[in-house]
Amino acid sequence: MKTDRLLGATAIAVAAMMLVFGYALQAPFAYEPVGPRAFPLIAAGMIALCGVILVLRPGEPSSESAGPIGALAALCGCLVGYALLFQPLGFVIATTIFMVPIAMIFGAKWWQGAVTGVVLAVSSYLLFDRVLEVVLPVGPFGGIV
Amino acid sequence: MDSFNYLLHGFGVALAPTNLLLAALGAVVGTMVGVLPGLGPINAVAMLVPVVFALGLPPEGSLILMAAIYIGSEYGGRISAILLNVPGEASAVMTALEGYPLARQGKAGIALSLSAWTSFVGSAIATLGIVLAAPVLAKWALAFGPVEYVALMVFAFACLTGLLTDQPVKAMLAIGLGLAISTIGIDANSGVYRYTFGSPNLVDGVQFATVVIGLFAISELLIMLDAKHGGAAVRIEQFGRSLFNRQEMRFTNMATLRGSIIGFFVGILPGAGGTVASALAYTTEKRVVEKSDPEGSRFGEGDVRGLASVEAANNSASNSNFIPMLTLGIPSSGTTAIMLGVLTLYNLTPGPALFRSQPDLVWGLIASLFIGNFILLAINIPLVGVFARMLSVPAWVLVPFIVVVSAIGVYSGKSTTFDLVLMVGLGVGGYLLRRLGVPMAPLILGLVLGKILEQSLRRALSLSAGDVAILWSSPISITLWIMAAAVLIIPLLLPRFAKWRHKTALQVD
Repeated sequence: MKTDRLLGATAIAVAAMMLVFGYALQAPFAYEPVGPRAFPLIAAGMIALCGVILVLRPGEPSSESAGPIGALAALCGCLVGYALLFQPLGFVIATTIFMVPIAMIFGAKWWQGAVTGVVLAVSSYLLFDRVLEVVLPVGPFGGIV
Repeated sequence: MDSFNYLLHGFGVALAPTNLLLAALGAVVGTMVGVLPGLGPINAVAMLVPVVFALGLPPEGSLILMAAIYIGSEYGGRISAILLNVPGEASAVMTALEGYPLARQGKAGIALSLSAWTSFVGSAIATLGIVLAAPVLAKWALAFGPVEYVALMVFAFACLTGLLTDQPVKAMLAIGLGLAISTIGIDANSGVYRYTFGSPNLVDGVQFATVVIGLFAISELLIMLDAKHGGAAVRIEQFGRSLFNRQEMRFTNMATLRGSIIGFFVGILPGAGGTVASALAYTTEKRVVEKSDPEGSRFGEGDVRGLASVEAANNSASNSNFIPMLTLGIPSSGTTAIMLGVLTLYNLTPGPALFRSQPDLVWGLIASLFIGNFILLAINIPLVGVFARMLSVPAWVLVPFIVVVSAIGVYSGKSTTFDLVLMVGLGVGGYLLRRLGVPMAPLILGLVLGKILEQSLRRALSLSAGDVAILWSSPISITLWIMAAAVLIIPLLLPRFAKWRHKTALQVD
């Protein structure tokens, strides 16, 4: 299977989506010749054209090997979890919990991961929230943590 | 002598304590970023976008900081290339070709100090070029109306697809995706909601910081996992003599000069940055040496001239990159595209008018490039050992650090879970696209230029009441259309160029 074909097909699907959701875009009172619809459709056309070329004339797939699929999936899982729980759990807790496995995916022993997680969580909270005044979520335990 | 006065004024801005501090900070951080594998200038600048707002920096301050990081990382990229044979970023690939063999011969100290020196010369020449060329170009660019802008942006896109990769279709696809993302949100002219899918989070479009951090910083982490899978290089421990001597300098002077000039002109082209410049300088220098001094050529086994010209070229190009960005509002690399995006976040319209309306910003930035280069030379020769030690920062510290800073950066904008999830989604999507050979820099360029392109197009067609012929109605626009077509078509006609491009593209990957 040539990966370029897959890429091309996906591009065509994206362009089709843009067409379906973009075709109805029209201004209620048009005072200019080109409304809000034209440009998205031009972009969609460009994407579709590239997609068709990729499907018809795919290049050779890259020979580079991907990382171990398990590690990739684990990293993606941790990132999604971190994104979802960042606000509900609060910055310090979410960071501590999720940075340990991420460090371990990249070769840390569990205690090295734990140290990284705690140090990173506390120090960046102090730096960003207290010094730089970027408000970070505090989570259910409020001011205690 | 107008430029000279403006430049003096610029030095006044750049030498203000805050800005000087920012330039120095940027130089140090930039060098570190260049050294660390997996953290190129584009990632660093992307993660910085929200930080500069959090710090409440004025536009000139944030640009000075970002520019210093950008040029600093070009200096830093050479350190890991020479010592580890692992280029910290794409433009240092050529550096490793000559630098690593030199280091293995026990000449790491000479290679590092000499390349710092030629980096400095390259940057200085390019910055001088900016002072001379930019105001002239800016004056000329004032003749640009919406019609010319449309043609200019199409030309920029054509350069990107024609020069950058051996797979123009994928670069074009990336531009299309960037343009598509730029249409999300409320349309400024008509108030129509486009592609928001009823989500209040998308009403004012996708946050710029979310897109760049997701596509660059987060996808890079997944790429690092691929790279970790590969073999490790042998680390050089013997530095040898730490400073080059006068004889070595004289031996490389011409190579440095040639590299600087090549870099300068390549950097001006939209879409072609340090990577193309260093590849071109390397092949040129190799050919020159093989003709003039076939006996003495050590290319491939550690020729200092190859190293000198490559480092001069990529630093020269990263500085001259600022010319199209400042005068035309057309960024020529991913990193300058992000900086341009930051300008728009400050409600400043990039383009020639900036020279008139924001002389502090433009000339302060140019002056700070001079100052930044001096700082970089000053810290890079004596402190090279300290920076080299950063190579031993383990990935398991670096990756969590990048994740946390990215998340904070994205969250600081609107404080929503939506943006964090979008960041991760874009990171995974960016990873898949990069694995499939779709470059990310054109996507960012499409995103940054999308709004301006659409506005110019609609304004131009309003002027002509909908007649498309207005798009090729002026001499400037016709020239640009022809140039755009030429950039796209010529590579197809010249098999030799295609072969060269293919080779460099392979090495870049």
